[in-house]
Amino acid sequence: MKDIYLPDVTTIDDITEETGDVTTFTLRFKDKRLQEEFDYRPGQFVEVSVFGVGEIPISITSTPSRPGFLELSIKNAGLVSGALHKLSKGAEVGVRGPFGNGFPYERAFGKNLLFVGGGIGLAPLRSLINFALDNRDRFADFSILYGSRTPADLVFRKELELLGKRPDVRTFITVDRGDDQWQGNVGVVTTLFPKADITSEDTLAFICGPPVMIPFVIHGLIKIGFSDETIISTLERHMKCGVGKCGHCCIGHKYVCQDGPVFSYKEMKEMVEKA
Amino acid sequence: MRANKEKELRILKRKNLFTLMSRFLEDREVIAPIKGHGGEVIFYPIEKIEDVAWDWTYVNTVLPPKRFFLPQTEELFHYKNQNKGYEITPIYNDRVRMIFGIRPCDVNALLFLDKFFGGGPIGRRVPVAEPGILQDRYYATRRANTFIIAFGCHQPGENCFCICCDSGPFLKEGFDLQLTQLGGDEYIVELGSARGLKIFYGHEDLFRSATNAEEKRLTEIKDEATQQFGNTRAYISKAIHKITRNQVPDELWENLSDRCHNCGGCSYVCPTCCCYNVVDVPINKSEGSRIRTWDSCAFAGFTKLAGGDNPRSEKKDRLKRRFFHKLSYHYIEKNGRHGCVGCGRCITTCFANISMPDIADKIRKGITS
Repeated sequence: MKDIYLPDVTTIDDITEETGDVTTFTLRFKDKRLQEEFDYRPGQFVEVSVFGVGEIPISITSTPSRPGFLELSIKNAGLVSGALHKLSKGAEVGVRGPFGNGFPYERAFGKNLLFVGGGIGLAPLRSLINFALDNRDRFADFSILYGSRTPADLVFRKELELLGKRPDVRTFITVDRGDDQWQGNVGVVTTLFPKADITSEDTLAFICGPPVMIPFVIHGLIKIGFSDETIISTLERHMKCGVGKCGHCCIGHKYVCQDGPVFSYKEMKEMVEKA
Repeated sequence: MRANKEKELRILKRKNLFTLMSRFLEDREVIAPIKGHGGEVIFYPIEKIEDVAWDWTYVNTVLPPKRFFLPQTEELFHYKNQNKGYEITPIYNDRVRMIFGIRPCDVNALLFLDKFFGGGPIGRRVPVAEPGILQDRYYATRRANTFIIAFGCHQPGENCFCICCDSGPFLKEGFDLQLTQLGGDEYIVELGSARGLKIFYGHEDLFRSATNAEEKRLTEIKDEATQQFGNTRAYISKAIHKITRNQVPDELWENLSDRCHNCGGCSYVCPTCCCYNVVDVPINKSEGSRIRTWDSCAFAGFTKLAGGDNPRSEKKDRLKRRFFHKLSYHYIEKNGRHGCVGCGRCITTCFANISMPDIADKIRKGITS
């Protein structure tokens, strides 16, 4: 059995700056066999090592339906993410994983998909969005609602524009504060609900965003008529090990790194600690 | 035949016990209770038999022996970036050791950790985890290579409540040998595993069979020891019920948080607390180690996220967390028993006199002050 704490070495093959503080890294395992065997679910995460600095959990933003590489969108927010941002193409980083449960997309087969993302929270949703697009015939309507603080903080902007042009996908974007060039919506992401004419009928909502956003979105969806089981969100916790041992990510007896990070609102309400 | 041999009791004279340990010392590490500089008794690798704290004035050591299985600071792997890129070398400690004088509560704590970390069946040099458990190979390797020579407890210590936690004062499982002092200079020896039996066969010259009277005496000693606990009550089972169902009023944790210093002492002295932090320690630009160190849910930074959010920033929530982890039924299901073995070390250590039996009693009665 493989040692659960030993990372495998990957090479940074590409770097794309999304915003001033968010960068997407394309990684490939040095060992070709490992790259071929690496499989994951949208919503799962990996532990990324910058050797000598440390290791952090990062959700996978690429989709398993487009294999051969791994994309991670990382916000420069701390010690390790800061060190990652200083690396250039060709540098080596460690990867362990994938960890966590991932999104329960099977539950959405034949149903409408609603994605509500905030800031860098679009990264894990992007994995699911692209996965669902690659399996488009298995799902009904497709709505993407995305918000960030300012226009400069919108990630995957070009991809969102391309998606907006598709006849079978509806995208709505908003920012908390606009700038001189911004002509789109202004306001928090929940202000898009009436504009997008969201319905709870036959719909599964997938949410990912900063901790401050999630309760507002959940309550907004409940008002529209979503049931607790149809609201699915990721939870953010400090995850050191990713394998349910180090104890940092526990909420009650749940390990966010193993039992999560994806939970339905029903599961969140049952937790003995505030989710 | 063999199974019966295992059940037979043996007698070991103290001088023969010395000889047995001297023989162990020749080819393995022997960890035993020794007297520290302040007179406190601690577990430590010994160099000679005379180092052992033979007078048994201790019931429990200040610190649990968990550090021999989960060291306070432990190197997981070494990384080195040469011309061909990073190379990672894990560091497992598979040195054969015996821990001598370990108490039943601490052995039960190891059995709890075994389930959690995937410690293999005792006696296998290459540890195997139970199906469905992700194995921590560092813990499991140390555990598999450590002989357990336990000492039953004749008398509880000041803060002991193992009797309420089904973890003492004598072991029913989890030991290779269990020794009980018979009075005089003799010990009655129980063989608890195939490995224990092997020790016996390897050193048969040192043992003799126990007489019927001595066997009877062992039962009496165990009964007498149990009676020594007198009125010790911890009401753990009632607390388990309430804490699992989230029926403990928040005011209890709020009131306790006025007293708690957030020092983390309770976790450090707890034989089942095993949360850890992981950090990289570079030696130079291209080489270094990844290490892990003990951590504690009592610390405010334990759950802090990059970016500043902290889901358990309030002390009352951290206290609730610790007691939940020690008592919730979920851990009985997962780890075979609840997370408190009644060793009483957290009571001894806590500045604020936050005591498990006391809190369990409060939970049971619904008292919040």
